[in-house]
Amino acid sequence: MSLVTSLIMRQMRVPIIILIIGYSISILGMVLASGIDDQGNPWHMSFFDAFYFVSFTATTIGFGEIPYTFSNEQRTWALITIYLTVIAWFYSLGKIVSLVQDPMFREALKANQFSQQLARIPDTFILICGFGETGHALAKALTERNIHTVVIEENDKLIQTLPLEDFPLVIPGIKGDARDPEKLILAGLQHKKCAAVIAVTASDETNLKIAVTSKLLNPEICVVCRSEIEEFESNMFSFGTDFVVNPFETFADIFGMAMHSPSLHLLYDWLTGVPDTDLTNPIYVEEGHWIICGFGRFGNDLYKQLLKSNVQVTIIDPSEEKREAFLGRPENKSNDFIIGTGFDAHTLTVAGVTKAVGLISGTDNDSNNLSIIMTARELNPELFIVARHNKKSNEKLFEATHANIVMQPSEIIARKIRTLLVSPLMIAFLNKARNQDASWANVTISRIMGALGDSVPSIWTLHVNKDEARALCQVLHLGRVIRVGNLLQNPRQRENQLEAVPLMLKRNQKLLLMPTNDIAIKSGDQILFCGTPGALRSMQWSQNDIHSLNYIMTYEDTHDAFIWRKIQQLIKQSDRRNRPRRKRHIMK
Amino acid sequence: MNREKVVFSFFMILALTLNFGFFAGEVDNPSHHNVYELFAVIIVNLIATVLKFGDRSQMGAMLLATSLVALVQLFSASIVWAYVVNIQGNEMTPDTMSTIISLSGGAMIANFISVILLIIETSMMRH
Repeated sequence: MSLVTSLIMRQMRVPIIILIIGYSISILGMVLASGIDDQGNPWHMSFFDAFYFVSFTATTIGFGEIPYTFSNEQRTWALITIYLTVIAWFYSLGKIVSLVQDPMFREALKANQFSQQLARIPDTFILICGFGETGHALAKALTERNIHTVVIEENDKLIQTLPLEDFPLVIPGIKGDARDPEKLILAGLQHKKCAAVIAVTASDETNLKIAVTSKLLNPEICVVCRSEIEEFESNMFSFGTDFVVNPFETFADIFGMAMHSPSLHLLYDWLTGVPDTDLTNPIYVEEGHWIICGFGRFGNDLYKQLLKSNVQVTIIDPSEEKREAFLGRPENKSNDFIIGTGFDAHTLTVAGVTKAVGLISGTDNDSNNLSIIMTARELNPELFIVARHNKKSNEKLFEATHANIVMQPSEIIARKIRTLLVSPLMIAFLNKARNQDASWANVTISRIMGALGDSVPSIWTLHVNKDEARALCQVLHLGRVIRVGNLLQNPRQRENQLEAVPLMLKRNQKLLLMPTNDIAIKSGDQILFCGTPGALRSMQWSQNDIHSLNYIMTYEDTHDAFIWRKIQQLIKQSDRRNRPRRKRHIMK
Repeated sequence: MNREKVVFSFFMILALTLNFGFFAGEVDNPSHHNVYELFAVIIVNLIATVLKFGDRSQMGAMLLATSLVALVQLFSASIVWAYVVNIQGNEMTPDTMSTIISLSGGAMIANFISVILLIIETSMMRH
């Protein structure tokens, strides 16, 4: 019996007993009371009559004095019956209503609903701790890729919005403090279908606690953490947290990529984007004089990236301490750091905004950032602007500024974590792609565009093993050769190519970028593909369906059913019997 | 002393004794079996059953089950009675009476098991 039903039953004991007692007193009284029948003889109600009378009286239906007109004694009992049973009913109904409104009962009901939703998830799921902006963006991104998620969040309001929003999959949500291990277990931490825990609450400390709890209670699980402070980051890694995502570092990394190799950045943007959206245009970041407003974590990380290129950087920040720390390093000149806020024209002019090519408004206050952008644009309309966007609610304002790059921490984290979880090979691919030159990236981009058209591709990994590619393994086991190019043939019309591009092949820890079509597949390989969702479905046919694979490979088709196999064997045998005779005939 | 236990034991044992009172006598002799006693058994049994609602212990579940069995038997007996006497309008016959009594005999066994379970539970308690 679940907690909720047991709670209801326990609470219902007293009202039901009161009803039983009320009914039994009334029935007994009605039976005992003496009456007169239509012939004038003394008469007593039977239990059946009494139960009938009390039932319609208690429910205020009131059919009247049945079967004979009552005597005064019976009427006295009827009065008692009316007051006793009607009050008993009112009391019981009131009790039920108050039970339904009881906060404890509601909590139990919600917990029950949550565990039912959890049980109904058919696949593995990912537990997201914290349903703020990042958690929200992540839940959206993961469910869009058909991955089930479960949410735990402290704020009741955020949890209540869950069912109202239009996610592609049902997301079970539970209210609770994720620092509490009990709550995490309740949310499914030790559930056998739980594949990963993502800690994306606003506080690094909470994320740390979640990571520790998850690794202790379920060491198998993949743990991903959001962290903005370096100390916490190293602490998280110390006990085996699988991934720590720092929004500023991640963004600076992407920014660096855009600066050094726009085509590589474009590739990154496509392959990590949301499938079926339009492809973005490349961003060209110019070298020259740059201004950074706000020298916090964000400004600092970008500064390091800018220094890698041939640029001159001027920093604007109101903090004296930061200036001293900056000037403490001998290579820095004093006029590279200006004390000020950056949203007044004077400071910006002193920093040289009129001659600068780019400006980074990286304070942690959205109004300041907007003000800096407006002022700088007035002074120099040609500026390349990188804006830090802190609060999601200001999205429209940042769109209106037409900044070249807008950095939104929650989006950055959501994208990074989604890539980590959806396709681990993708990260390896991107890391390897970094070491390639720009012409490689250009060739890859044109190949993807040529094969797929102009929307963001889906990413998938083909694992050549018995579970995920049954037919493929079967055929490979026979010693036949299947090449990467064969997989790209359409199982409906083998002359046609599927809209997919193989990005990387992983074999025995070795990675091969952009495998060519003539490479033979071996059992145990992992191949990363990008392509249209339709191509993924078609490819799954040729992986798992022996007939489709036979068709592609132009093998003779084999029959599944016993009878057909026998007939096929018979035909082959008769062929063989016929053949030698003909040969002999020829020899003569 | 646990008041809940006292109340429950009271109703459980009362159900058994009343049931026995109704059951005792010649099986097919209507004058040996009082209709008020059957009524009382049903009411007391109902209360005993409701008192076990929402008990999540193993013993609670067993007691609920035996009480429900007794109730089913007693309801059948009373329905037979009401059907023959009130709906068909016949006099009570020895045949009908023996059916009713055998049904209430089954209920008595269920009530007896309840009381035994109650005794086991009590003796297993250590204070």
